[in-house]
Amino acid sequence: MDHQHLFDVGGTHLSRLEDLRLIKGEGCYAADWSLPNQAHAAFLRADRAHAKIVSINTDAARKARGVLGVYTGADAVAAGYVKPLSMLTFAGKDGKKANLPNRAVLANGTVRFVGETVAMVIAETALQAQDAAELIEVEYEDLPVTVDPRATLEAGAPQLHDNVPGNMVFEQEAGDAAAVDAAFAKAAHVTKLKLDCTRVAPNPMEPRACLVAHDAASGGYTLHTPVQGINMMRMQIAAYTGVPDDKLTIKAKDVGGGFGQRSIAYTEYVAAMIAAKALKRPVKWVSTRSEGFMSDSHGRANYIDAELALDKDGTFLAMRLDWIADLGAYLHPAGPVSPMRNPVTCLNGVYKTPALFGRWRVALTNTVPVSAYRGAARPEIAYTIERLVDEAAAQMSIDPGELRRRNFIPKEAFPYKTPTGSVYDIADFPGVLDKALKIADVAGFDKRRTISGKRGMLRGLGMSTVIENSGAGMFPKDEVLIEVGTDGNLTAYSISHSQGQGHETTFAQIIGDALGIPAERIQLRQGIAEKGLIGNHTGGSRTIVGAGTVCHIAAKKLIEVATPLAAEQLGVEPSQVAYAKGEFQSKESSKKITLGELAAKKPLSVTGEGKFGSTFPNGCHIAEVEIDPQTGVTDVASYVTVDDCGTVINHTIVEGQMHGAVAQGWGQIFGENIVYDPDTGQLLTGSFMDYAMPKAGWIKDITIADHTTFGTISPLGVKGMGESGCTASLGALTNAVMNALRPLGVPPLDMPLTAHKLWQAITTAKAGHGEGR
Amino acid sequence: MYAFQYRKAKTLKEAGELLARDDEAKPLSGGMTLIPTLKARLAQPTQLIDLNGLSELSGIEVKGDVLSIGAATRHQEVANSKVVRDALPALSSLASHIGDPQVRNRGTLGGSVANNDPAADYPSAVLGLNAKVITNKREIAADDFFQGMFATALEPGEIIVRIAFPLPEKAAYAKFAHPATGYAMAGVFVAQTADGIRVAVTGAGPGVFRWTDAEQALTKKMDAAAIEQLTLAADDLNEDMHGSREYRAQLAKVMAMRAVAAIAGKN
Repeated sequence: MDHQHLFDVGGTHLSRLEDLRLIKGEGCYAADWSLPNQAHAAFLRADRAHAKIVSINTDAARKARGVLGVYTGADAVAAGYVKPLSMLTFAGKDGKKANLPNRAVLANGTVRFVGETVAMVIAETALQAQDAAELIEVEYEDLPVTVDPRATLEAGAPQLHDNVPGNMVFEQEAGDAAAVDAAFAKAAHVTKLKLDCTRVAPNPMEPRACLVAHDAASGGYTLHTPVQGINMMRMQIAAYTGVPDDKLTIKAKDVGGGFGQRSIAYTEYVAAMIAAKALKRPVKWVSTRSEGFMSDSHGRANYIDAELALDKDGTFLAMRLDWIADLGAYLHPAGPVSPMRNPVTCLNGVYKTPALFGRWRVALTNTVPVSAYRGAARPEIAYTIERLVDEAAAQMSIDPGELRRRNFIPKEAFPYKTPTGSVYDIADFPGVLDKALKIADVAGFDKRRTISGKRGMLRGLGMSTVIENSGAGMFPKDEVLIEVGTDGNLTAYSISHSQGQGHETTFAQIIGDALGIPAERIQLRQGIAEKGLIGNHTGGSRTIVGAGTVCHIAAKKLIEVATPLAAEQLGVEPSQVAYAKGEFQSKESSKKITLGELAAKKPLSVTGEGKFGSTFPNGCHIAEVEIDPQTGVTDVASYVTVDDCGTVINHTIVEGQMHGAVAQGWGQIFGENIVYDPDTGQLLTGSFMDYAMPKAGWIKDITIADHTTFGTISPLGVKGMGESGCTASLGALTNAVMNALRPLGVPPLDMPLTAHKLWQAITTAKAGHGEGR
Repeated sequence: MYAFQYRKAKTLKEAGELLARDDEAKPLSGGMTLIPTLKARLAQPTQLIDLNGLSELSGIEVKGDVLSIGAATRHQEVANSKVVRDALPALSSLASHIGDPQVRNRGTLGGSVANNDPAADYPSAVLGLNAKVITNKREIAADDFFQGMFATALEPGEIIVRIAFPLPEKAAYAKFAHPATGYAMAGVFVAQTADGIRVAVTGAGPGVFRWTDAEQALTKKMDAAAIEQLTLAADDLNEDMHGSREYRAQLAKVMAMRAVAAIAGKN
């Protein structure tokens, strides 16, 4: 297929079709839903990290004005809502299954993190519910606290769950330990790093919310709540509650940001089901931002000891990892899976490293449960490898670009089977690197460093060349339904739900391209449960590969299905009908019939489907920084991205995704950091007063380019790209900072690279060199 | 947010009386600190006395060598005012870097000064210029007004009406913004006045304070190099996860040097 000429319908820089509606305030987010006679929920949350609940007195709350009901752990247990879904069902090291902790949706006897839902008050108004929640008296008996992800696995650490000995849920190994040992034994050089991929809060713009209704007649529940896909939410709610799929309707329209945080059946949603059924009234809850910090899933929190073995020429011989994933106090369904599955899939990165081995331990701490966060451990493995490569390059005095080039999987090696069993279908790593080196003018860096030095500034350049797995998906297939209107306009339906990715535009472009009609004539509707579609949620950058490709398949199927119908109307054989631009024409006469006219005769719709394997978007990011040694402030002087995400459907959207993902990486490297008090387990960064989000002024120009090889998994040649900016930026930015500081003798640093931390490192290094302070 | 009574004062006199009658009442101006505090349920006032719209608290004017700004003037108005920019550009620059556009469009000069957040920007200008805080009862010199973290000389029922800034020969403000909040981690206002040099530091300590060592050094020579060798005593400075005392001392010095350099650049 000639991918390059695929998407000229409406232009590859078509502005987003959904934007006008959204910026006019016509979006419909979870808190915008209301139902007649609805009541409001408020939650009493644990104010301590680990304690036994000795008693709960709800008398005063029950008597408070407007209160309709108060629910506690006993109600959660009575309902049987105590065991969330877990996707950690496979066997680990020595064939052992995971030790999965239970979690009653309202704490049952013990609280294990600050923010855990302890009791739920339902009242006529949200304010009444909040006031009454403060009247609940809980007597606690404090227990010792464990928040450090390494220490929590050590003997003597406070224990969270009886059925999780040593706070270790699961252990897994991947790769060939013997081959790695042998390679390290003969290595000319070994580089070791201890890396913290710190814990962050996703902080989507839209707070979590739910509106839950129960229909006594049918026994069914309807939940309005933000999702990344309604099927994923339904599956999790069903597993948590035992309510079958066909009694659960999930509704969502616009979703204001996700980053992985939306893919979870949270305790508040499930607890609200108890009240909605008991009170026979819809129950609404909208999170505050403060609640969000202590109850939305956190991200990253992976702690990795990493070693790279090289021969004397810098050829990578082997890599060994010891990885601890901190999952918090309980497990979200996919939380523990992604820090193992995704790193193993791309364990060699873009390199032909022959021997790889890693050990993964899934640990519990008295902290907010962790789940997928933009990239879901793809950024962590890329960061680990790229930090090792840059550190090795510095230690061996080899140019970091050259060291990478020596070890790249060569272009002619694709499809390439990796040591851990993945098949990279196609890529051109040297081509990506060369283009990035050129755009970033790496050749001129030394001169720029000298100029910065004259101004007293420390300049550094860092790169990362990365690959990540996309595509695939956990549902059996992706379906897209296309309905033809009598006016010839089309409505498409998908399960994969936009949280800001611009599906309404991209999907419309794909369908429009296949049918030869303008994208503006195609409207996408997402989260329409009544259509009964099967499909993956939006996650893992896969939507363009899955639902996006199926848009193309469905559109082609529409022509196929409609051609005989058109032939019948035109009174000719189907073989004598040609389709173009929304019209069927008889080859014999000038008779025509449009899609809309056909639909007016008889309702016309098709459902396309597809299932796809893994794709491997990849890229090279190069950052150049200037650090002010007086304050430690890092200014990112330039940032260049060259990515291979396969076919680009819409450059505007791809660039927007890249801006957002790089900004998230930027946030994690220079500011964002969830901090717990080590002694009490209190959340110290529980608001924007202490949690530093990336701000507009921090990020200046990002130069974005692509270097495309067309993917072989999707007929569109697409590979996915929503997360690659996170995956590449963590390493590029950190490597740039280390490149600036290494000449001073600053040892390897971990994120976040705050001004304070850099100033301390610079000051310490200078003191060590006798320059004093 | 807990329930409270809302009263909109019609006159300054009425506002003063309402506040004096009820210890638990709070005046509401821009609300940029008060409203988030209420929303977080960290305060439970009986009443909010709304000062917005009181004519006595508005207006910007220069009389002689004094710039007088009404307490209800919003940060954005100070930042945009031609009068302020011509008379005291350091103050308009300071105002233009407070918070974010939403905060600047609501927050007020009087509210900020009365609240005396130890990391707020305005107190450094008030102290650095030795301004007069004019209330509904009296005039208070800046040196007497600020009394440590969130503490001021204001008495119950006392409302800031205007602030009178004596115009300096030259002045500049340099700020190192907190990475999360945008408040000052260290903000230094340096003023060269007929009465001498004043250096006021906000953000670094438990309240705005004058750095007298720097004032003396700059009196000898108005040059950034004059303070380069000084070390601001770190013992009494703030320390938290965002910065050690020593870091804040360093930031205060660097900001002071930058303010001095900015003044020198205006020669």
